[in-house]
Amino acid sequence: MKKKIPVPSLLVLTIIVILCFACELIMTKDPLYMDLSHCSEAPGKEFLFGTDTMGRDIFSMIWYGGRISLIIGFLATLLSTVLAVVIGSVSGCASAPVDGILMRMTELILSVPGLLLTVFLQAVFGRANVYSLSVVLGLTGWMSMAKVVRTEVLQLRNTDYVLAARCLGGGFFHVLRYHLAPNFFPSVLFMAVMNVRNAIVAESTLSFMGLGLPVEEVSWGSMLSLSENALLSRSWWVILIPGIFLAGTLLSLTNLGNYMRRSTNKRHSNLGCEEKDKKIRNKI
Amino acid sequence: MKKSNIIRILYHAGSFLLSVFALSVLVFTISRLAPRDPLYAYYGERVEKMSVEEQEQARERLGLNASVPVQYMRWLACALHGDFGISYQYKTDVKEVLAARVGNTLLLGGMSFALIFVLALWLGLFCAWREERLTDRLICRIGTVTSCIPEFWLSLLFILLFAVWLGWLPGSGAYSVGKEGSAADRAVHLILPLTVVVLGHLWYYAFQVRNRLLEEVRADYVLLARMKGLSGKQVLRRHCLRSTMPSYLSMMAVAFPHILGGTYVVELVFSYPGIGTLAYESARYKDYNLLMVISLLTGITVIFCNMLAQGINERLDPRMRAQSKVGRGEAGGV
Repeated sequence: MKKKIPVPSLLVLTIIVILCFACELIMTKDPLYMDLSHCSEAPGKEFLFGTDTMGRDIFSMIWYGGRISLIIGFLATLLSTVLAVVIGSVSGCASAPVDGILMRMTELILSVPGLLLTVFLQAVFGRANVYSLSVVLGLTGWMSMAKVVRTEVLQLRNTDYVLAARCLGGGFFHVLRYHLAPNFFPSVLFMAVMNVRNAIVAESTLSFMGLGLPVEEVSWGSMLSLSENALLSRSWWVILIPGIFLAGTLLSLTNLGNYMRRSTNKRHSNLGCEEKDKKIRNKI
Repeated sequence: MKKSNIIRILYHAGSFLLSVFALSVLVFTISRLAPRDPLYAYYGERVEKMSVEEQEQARERLGLNASVPVQYMRWLACALHGDFGISYQYKTDVKEVLAARVGNTLLLGGMSFALIFVLALWLGLFCAWREERLTDRLICRIGTVTSCIPEFWLSLLFILLFAVWLGWLPGSGAYSVGKEGSAADRAVHLILPLTVVVLGHLWYYAFQVRNRLLEEVRADYVLLARMKGLSGKQVLRRHCLRSTMPSYLSMMAVAFPHILGGTYVVELVFSYPGIGTLAYESARYKDYNLLMVISLLTGITVIFCNMLAQGINERLDPRMRAQSKVGRGEAGGV
């Protein structure tokens, strides 16, 4: 059974990405301008998605802030993927003691809860901005991917073609680039998509708690950090609209990631359903 | 046989202690690297009014002047005696601050875990039974959606819907004012946070159960059991489910700290007085002593549960023991 391409998810994702990166063309207001005479205004003709408790236009903020959320997700994933591939393949190729130390280290970092580690690291970096947050999220997101890469490399490294390449004098990075990477690419791709998702979730959670981007720097997370005031003034649009965009993006990313995952072989179930049994019986 | 058991236990205990030690070094170093002066957390704005000498004295008194390794050794010596220092913000023993909150988090986390444990098994079994039919596909869809929604937003949504609009359930805290200690009031306050935590995690585990079962269902012994006349349902329940149990139990052992960690964010949104809210406050006010102990405590739970999972695997499934030996042999080969 072949997997179907998740067209709706792909469509949603493409539209959101394009609109976010072309936000200058569609924004109706300045997303940073605090119009104090129009605080917490419900969605209407002038403010398509309403205004938040600080009088900013949510429609413009969605696209402007979405760009920042997406950039953080992308940068963090880039960093964590590079780290994971290098550490995972070094660990997979190295001798047993080195491999053991590297894996113990990875498990150790994995054992600190992700959010606490991020909070800790962010405290070290001081006041958060887009780049420091991406670095922190990248530094905390590589561990499980590194483990997957290591497992794949362990299986690959004793194959004849890798041995041949090594005997011919291929260095570590040559073997990695031409022989190992193409083989573990599919599973890394799946995890990379999931990492984009995780980074966006972590960014929004941190910013929502007030430990990530400050309110003045618009992202989907920092928009939601105003929700406490919004709950009091019952302005549902402040909570609902950024969240729907956030959840929609995450859902599309998940569907896309699942599509990229290697499909398992789909034999027929041996359990058999009653209808199938009847059909077989009728044939007999 | 007995001797090898003792050696194994010693080995596990040793690696557990080593992991905890390494974790404490890591956490301590990070907390001391943090740029903001801990004096601020202790004295607040008053620091700015203090003279340089007074600040120096205060640093000396709080032991902040020594180098990081020395500070670590001091901290370790105290910690081994059960003294984790004072919380800079609450100005009392860290243990006391924690003790007041731990129960609340364990209640919320423990109940979520129990619910997820039962529901994931049941849901996975149900989906495997209805494989690729309408109900299965529908549940898979809904599950993907719920597991995608960030927990904090789901919490907000629930508060907005059930507390603000409908007014059915309370949206914050553990008790209503004046009703402290009433169990019924407590339960009512738990409903929303509990639902969010369960919804956020349930599908991941149920999906794993479903997939394991679907692999199992394609094994040859199922065919044999069917030929012997057992019904599909009986085979699924008696044989397939049983053979997925070891991996399920070890998965749930790893899941426990994960779910407990998941309650942190939810606690925060519902202002539920647990460890999560405490961690947030201590991060906010740079109360590193407290944050460090919380990280350490959570980390130890994770390490312990991981070892438990490994133990369960080795105990219940002899194949794992053989596999790990083979794996090691391979790694030593080159």
